[in-house]
Order: sequence, then structure tokens, then C-alpha cells
Amino acid sequence: MKRIAAFVALTLLFLTPAFAARMKVMTTYPYIASIVEQIGRDKVRVQALARGDFDPHTIMPKPSFIAKLRRGELLIINGAQLEIGWLPPLLRQANNPAINPGSRGFLDLSRYVKLIDVPTSISRAQGDIHPDGNPHYYLDPHNIPPLARGIAAKLAELDSANAGYYAANRDEFLRSWSAKQAEWDRKLASLRGKRVIEYHKNFDYLLRSYGIILAGTVEPLPGIPPTSRHIENLERVIGHTKVHRIFQDVYNPDRASRFLSKKYDIPLVRLPHDVGAVREAEGIYSLFDEMVRRLAQ
Amino acid sequence: MYKTLVSMLLLAGLVMLPALAGAQEPVADEGEFQTAGEPTSGSPFSQSKFVPDISLILDASYVYRSLKNGQFRATSSPEYTEVPMLEGIHDETEPFSRRGLNFNYAEITFASVVDPFFDLFAVCEVTEDVFGLEEAYFSTRSLPLGLQLKGGKFLSSFGRLNEQHTHYWDFYDIPLVYNAFFGEGALNEIGARCTLVVPADFYLMLGGEVLRGKNTRSFGVEGFTSLDGVVRISDTNWPELYVGYVKTSFDIGDMVVLAGASAARGRTRINHGIGIAGVSGYAVSGYTTVAGGDLTMKYQFDSIRYLSLQGEYLYRRVDGTLYKNDSANAVSRTGITKDQTGLYVQLTAKLAKQWRCGARYDLLQVNRVRSNHMIRDVPDNLPRYSAMAEYNPTEFSRLRLQYNCDLSRYRERAGFYRRNIAHEVILQVNLAIGAHGAHAF
Repeated sequence: MKRIAAFVALTLLFLTPAFAARMKVMTTYPYIASIVEQIGRDKVRVQALARGDFDPHTIMPKPSFIAKLRRGELLIINGAQLEIGWLPPLLRQANNPAINPGSRGFLDLSRYVKLIDVPTSISRAQGDIHPDGNPHYYLDPHNIPPLARGIAAKLAELDSANAGYYAANRDEFLRSWSAKQAEWDRKLASLRGKRVIEYHKNFDYLLRSYGIILAGTVEPLPGIPPTSRHIENLERVIGHTKVHRIFQDVYNPDRASRFLSKKYDIPLVRLPHDVGAVREAEGIYSLFDEMVRRLAQ
Repeated sequence: MYKTLVSMLLLAGLVMLPALAGAQEPVADEGEFQTAGEPTSGSPFSQSKFVPDISLILDASYVYRSLKNGQFRATSSPEYTEVPMLEGIHDETEPFSRRGLNFNYAEITFASVVDPFFDLFAVCEVTEDVFGLEEAYFSTRSLPLGLQLKGGKFLSSFGRLNEQHTHYWDFYDIPLVYNAFFGEGALNEIGARCTLVVPADFYLMLGGEVLRGKNTRSFGVEGFTSLDGVVRISDTNWPELYVGYVKTSFDIGDMVVLAGASAARGRTRINHGIGIAGVSGYAVSGYTTVAGGDLTMKYQFDSIRYLSLQGEYLYRRVDGTLYKNDSANAVSRTGITKDQTGLYVQLTAKLAKQWRCGARYDLLQVNRVRSNHMIRDVPDNLPRYSAMAEYNPTEFSRLRLQYNCDLSRYRERAGFYRRNIAHEVILQVNLAIGAHGAHAF
């Protein structure tokens, strides 16, 4: 009897997070996992659900994600409804109270940044719109430090024994990030005032930060593939103003963008939208290094 | 009387006092009274933020069929499905799509978190004349060890397709074998469910359900009495139907594999017109077991395109007593066993952001029916071939064109069966508005 009690007590002890060797952190997208790695380092085991080269709006809710969420101690999401099309049923099926929205083990990063393009009226006649605003806020390097601070605070809250460790890593990350930031700002300074076209409103935060003007999107409305009439309208825009570049993501068909690029001799830039979107974007630093390299070309 | 009047006036005065005071004292600076960020209009007790997710789904179709409605209704897949006896008597008459324009249903869904411990979900199916509750259940949010309880009226998680709502199917109609064993509405029962997601590196889910067993194709709850009163079969006492399943899933590179095995066993009470004078009706009481295996393999080429292969194989055994009315209203009784199998295999491909197409093969395969130790001569190996193409302007709207070549329908005449081939062309439109939650895999 005593032996059984001891066994049960020991098992329970090992099940508590404090005794687990590393905190199990799940993130929806790879870029979040990369930031968590910078701050948690060898105190966490982090895994991203979605692939970085796929459309973040329409990730297939694989049952294998349920198994991962089932065992997670912390779930960090992008928020602003970017995951609304795939994460809710997975959370319901995983039934892990530790990481449900509202619990301590759930972190929505969108609360640390000010979202832009918050629609004043909501109708699906406007396409696949996000009521909270544009969710692609993380594609501006200026928005990464607040995310890192939020992640560090959450890790420290769940694992207070290592709070100092996380704070030190955070400070180191913020220092090297601001050095990188200066480099990126220098390289992108020449783009100020230039007009560009993008496929989806993926890079609006970046455009705003660097004073780049959006002349139009290849999609007529968010989530709706280009129509010939819309392309004609875009051609009219291109006729009126000088368009410097066309930005294309890696997951949408690029036929319309290539057509415009060829016809009007505007360079087409394929931009990574997440870690893993292109081979060179291996982590949060190289994602922006590669983005800036392609933008500055 | 006088006292009442005075007290009423006093009360009214008290109630009006703040308003009167407000009117007499002009407000110096309105801004002073407003808290920043607070909405100034509306009730301070407004609960509008707590409105659950509400959505409405509409489904309509245009059907061309080579059989006239009457001809189609008079055919069945013998021993798998029934020909309705008389209009109005037999509830099993599925609301089949008629030739021409069909308003199939409008589905109203409500979903919300109840509190930290429960979720609530309800689906009302509305047809032209009937407002019905298709599903209404709660599920737990915070049980430990990966356990979840669900209770209410819900679609059983038996097999792969059963749990999915009609608007999420890859084809217009339910596979033949599901229709034969569970009916158009699938296995939809009142009861409770417990599931366990095993903490493993791959997905492994175990589940069990305890259900009322009202399904009229394989189970049923209502007893029956023959005309002469000799045969009296009692109602079943619920719970009468037990369902169990195991589901597992893993990824092989870019391919998702999902496999499951399910079984359902319950008491059978099927009454097909026994107790009605002048009708050569029959009834069955006994036990029925349905078991099945399912496999889905979905391969993603890229972020948009995929190829999905899905198949299910179901087996049913009915073991019981068959009661039959003869022309003189006397009841005969014989032992009956049915061993039946059926399957469907479907291949669907998403070719572009807005386009999907697919093909499906249906088969009602084994049809071995023994009564009184004699094997009945009934048709088996009844196939149906389907093909579909879909245009989805957005995830909220769908247009689907489907063709069926249905070789599963027979007409009985004096103990002989003649096949009636039905060619069907269906144009379906399905639209969704409101807050409709994302679908599971």
C-alpha cells in the first residue's frame, strides 16, 4: 500500500511542470517558435504547428496537431483571427485545459501590438476580412521586440524558478535585435516614398514603417483570387503612377503578378512571410535578413 | 383607496427625483461625466457581447433524375432499405430529393462557451414545414487526463463520415451503406459520450457512447403488438445502444493518414406496419451489431492543392425474430439473421483555390439473409457511381454539380426483383452566413 502511494506521489511529482525537464511550448507559426527559442533556449522545448511556406490563413487541421496540443504546457498564437480557420477545432479536440484561451498557458501575441486597418464596418462582401485588424503585424521588425517581451514575461510567469534566465535572454535578444534593426532601417531607407503592389495585404506593417506606398493589391479583396477586371484596374493604376516593385508571397499562384511584372517591366519580389517560407529564412533573424535583402535588391 | 393613491404618487415622485434634479441643474461640462473609452449610449447591463456564435446555412438543389418521383419511391435496395408501405404510415420514408427544384434545408447553429467548464452547441434543421433539433449538446472543457464528456443529442462519432454535418460532405448525398444502416440523417442519438486522447506522440483517441437507440434503420425503441394481440413486444428501456471506437492518425511526410475502427450494438425494434389491418406488414425484434473500419489519406501538394482518398467498410448483423401479418391478420414468427456489408471509396482533389472535383464508388456488397434456416434469394453487389465538381467562390459559398449512376435500386414484383437504373444530375448550392466555427480535419 505504501509502495503504491509512493509511486503515485512520484508520478504526480514528475507530471508537474516544475519537475519536467523542459517546458513544452507549442506555437501556431514557426516565427513564434523562433522567438521562443531565443528566450527560452535550453529551458523549453518548442514546436510550431504550421509550416512556414504555407498560407497561414488556411492551415490543414491535421489530427497529429491534436496529439501535440494535448501535451503542451504553453500555447502561443499570433492572434488577430489569423488562426480562426484552423485552430479552434484542434483546441476543442485536444481538450487540454492548460492551454485553452483564458488559461495561464495561453498567450495571444496580437495584444502586444497596435493593429492597423481595423475595419469600421464588417461585412463578408469585403472578402476574408479580419474584424480585429490586419493580423500580419509580425512582418515588421519593429513589432518583434514587444512580442519578445511578452513571451519572456509569460515564460517567467509559468516557470518562475528561471525568471532571471528568461529576463537575461530577453535583454540579450533585444540588444542584438536593435543592432539588426539599425542595419535593416539603413538598407530600406531608399524605399521611402516608393509605390508597390502586393498580392495580399501581408506586408502593410512593413510598408507603413518604411514609408512605402501601397498602390494596390493583386487580389481584388482579401482571400479572393485575381479577376481579369481587377487586373485591368491595376493596369490603369500602373499606367498613372510609377510602381517600383510587385510583392508576391510564396504560397499564392503568381500568374497575375508575373503577367503584370512582364508587361510593365516591374521587378517581382518573392517575399518570405514566415520562418521556413524560403530556404534562407531559417530563424527570426534570417527571416528579416532575407526579406530586407530581397527588398533592397 | 386614498392611502394607495398617496403612496403611488410618493413612489412616482421618488422614481422621478433624479430626473427632475438633473433637469434643474444644468450640467456644466458634459465631458467631465464621461469616462474615457466607455461607450456613452446603450444599457450599462447590456449582454450583447455574450451573444453566442450564430450561423445560418442554406442548401438548395436542382435535380434531374431518369426515374419519375413515384418510380423512384417504389424502388429500394432489398433487405438494406425499405419501400415505404403507405404514404404517411412509415416514418422511414427519407425526405428524398425530388425531380426539379428542392429546398433541402436551412441549418441554424448556435455555439458558445458556457463557463470555464462547458461548451454548448446546437444545430436546428429547418425545412419548409418542420423546425427540428438536429443536435444540441454540451461538452466539457477542463477534465484532466485528456478526457472529455459530451451529453445531449448529437451525431455519433462512429466511423469517419457519421459525425460530419451534411454541408461538410464531399458529395451531395450520403453513401449507400450509411443510408442502409443508419438512414439519411446518419446515427444521430440522445445520449452521452466519453472520449480520451491518449498522451502519445501520434494521435490516438478512444471513445465510448451510451445512446438511446432510436435509429429506425438498425435499432429502434418502440415495441409493437400484433393485430390479434398474440405478439406483444415491449418498448426498450434506454440506454439501448452502445458505441465504441478507436481512431488514430499520423503524418507520413506531407500525407495525413487517419484510420479508425468502430462498433455499435443495440436492441432492435423495427415495425413496418404490423398492427395495421389490411396491410401485410412485418416487424423485427432482436439485436443488431454494426462494425466498421475507415481510412483517410490526404496528400498536400502545396498550400492550396491536395488529393484525398477516403473509404469506409461497414458490416451489419441483425439477429432476431421476424413477425409477419398474413392476409387473415394472423401472425407468423420466424428467426431471422442478416449479414450485410457495404463500402464506399471516394477520391477528391482540390485543384485550385476555388475548385474541387471528386469521384465516388458505392457498393452494397454482401446481402445474406436467412430466415427459418433458408437463405433468401435477394440481390447483392449493388453499386452506385458518382462524380462531382465544385466551385467555391469563398469558404462561405459553394456550387456543386454531381452525377450519379445508381444501380442499387430494385423493384419487387411477385417475389422477383427488377433493377431500376437511376441517372441523376444534381446542381447544389450551399451558402453560410454568420459566425460558423472552423471544421475539424
